[in-house]
Amino acid sequence: MNNQSRQSFLGKNHEDILANSYIGIIGLCGGGSHVAQQLAHIGIGNFVIADSDVVEDTNLTRMVGSKPADVGRMKTDVIADLIQSIKPDASITQVDGKWLDGDAEIRDCDIVVGCVDKYFERDNIERFCRHHSITYIDIGMGVHEEENGFSISGQVVISEAGGPCMRCLGILSDENLEQENKLYGEAGNTPQVIWPNGVLASIAVGQTISTLLPWSPNLARSTMVEYDGNRQTVSKSNRLPYLTTGTCSHYPSH
Amino acid sequence: MSITFQINERLLRTIHEDLSRPHAFALERMGFISCRPTFDNKQNVIIVARTYRPIQDNHYIDDPSYGALMNGDAIRMALELSYNQNASIVHVHRHEHRGKPKLSRTDIMESNKFIPSFINVRPLLPHATIVLSYNAMAGRCWLPNKKSPVPINKFIITKASERLGVFV
Repeated sequence: MNNQSRQSFLGKNHEDILANSYIGIIGLCGGGSHVAQQLAHIGIGNFVIADSDVVEDTNLTRMVGSKPADVGRMKTDVIADLIQSIKPDASITQVDGKWLDGDAEIRDCDIVVGCVDKYFERDNIERFCRHHSITYIDIGMGVHEEENGFSISGQVVISEAGGPCMRCLGILSDENLEQENKLYGEAGNTPQVIWPNGVLASIAVGQTISTLLPWSPNLARSTMVEYDGNRQTVSKSNRLPYLTTGTCSHYPSH
Repeated sequence: MSITFQINERLLRTIHEDLSRPHAFALERMGFISCRPTFDNKQNVIIVARTYRPIQDNHYIDDPSYGALMNGDAIRMALELSYNQNASIVHVHRHEHRGKPKLSRTDIMESNKFIPSFINVRPLLPHATIVLSYNAMAGRCWLPNKKSPVPINKFIITKASERLGVFV
């Protein structure tokens, strides 16, 4: 019995497949740190991790693996340490800047998990992944002020050839990209907390592993999963039935 | 249009390790690389190496007139790989020297025979053959709807972080 024995249901060759898989994680704070930690535990052998920021005080409440002593360090360094502490033989490629600075390395990936805040970044990552036939898994989460309090919500989307993209699903639109562009530099600190990121990251990890190692012929992988943080529920998005064509008009050649 | 073959250093090292293993009678080893083809913004072809399948020991033919010769089972395995994974297939072997390698006449003749089988299975994907040396590589690529192969112009080896000492 080895340390993988409890995961043996993932298939006879699951260790090799995990060890030879390349996963990109773009954005390494609330969502990305959880994803990196879980994938390292599972046994992914090759990581490409990208983030241009250093750890700030305000990240410590939600960035898994970060400690007060890490304030001022590159997030890529902190997450590389975290992965290596769990899986010492993992190959880790760090992109310590804009993710596109590592375009060749990200092109190596089987799956990219995007954990970024900005719509335009998500749009660009999805374009890149669609262009290079890479499965893209996007995590989004928000805390919104309501009349009598706040609501927490989020979603995980799989964008891949043949399926709907984030524009089809209404996550991205010219309107929200334009609105974000107008507010550029004025957004301030948007509220973020650790537990919704943990839920969404776990779903993204589940989507990642079900893509690499489908453990049942009856897997019903949802293109979009929604999280309601006020009700503490996760459900398949009800937007999907309204996609009438079933094909993506935004990336028709893919 | 240019053709680029991209491979990460870890996979390349695995391939070199496999090709270094002695065989009972073949003088060199061969293998197949399953690849994902893609394009850059100028529609230049990039063939991204994904996984490596060595040719099994019992899939070599004992023919002293060749350095190594594979049998039909080896080709069938690679055809299945291409079909099942919707993958471009790159045949690989190594010449035992340093510096830029060159496909031999035999390499060219043999690849002209078996690469069209991959085109039959996955006609819309590029397929290729490459030869490694200890520190370089060269190759030819068959593009969809083109009769003759073209040289691979560029090779990219992506590296993991040296900070972690993975590739030292």
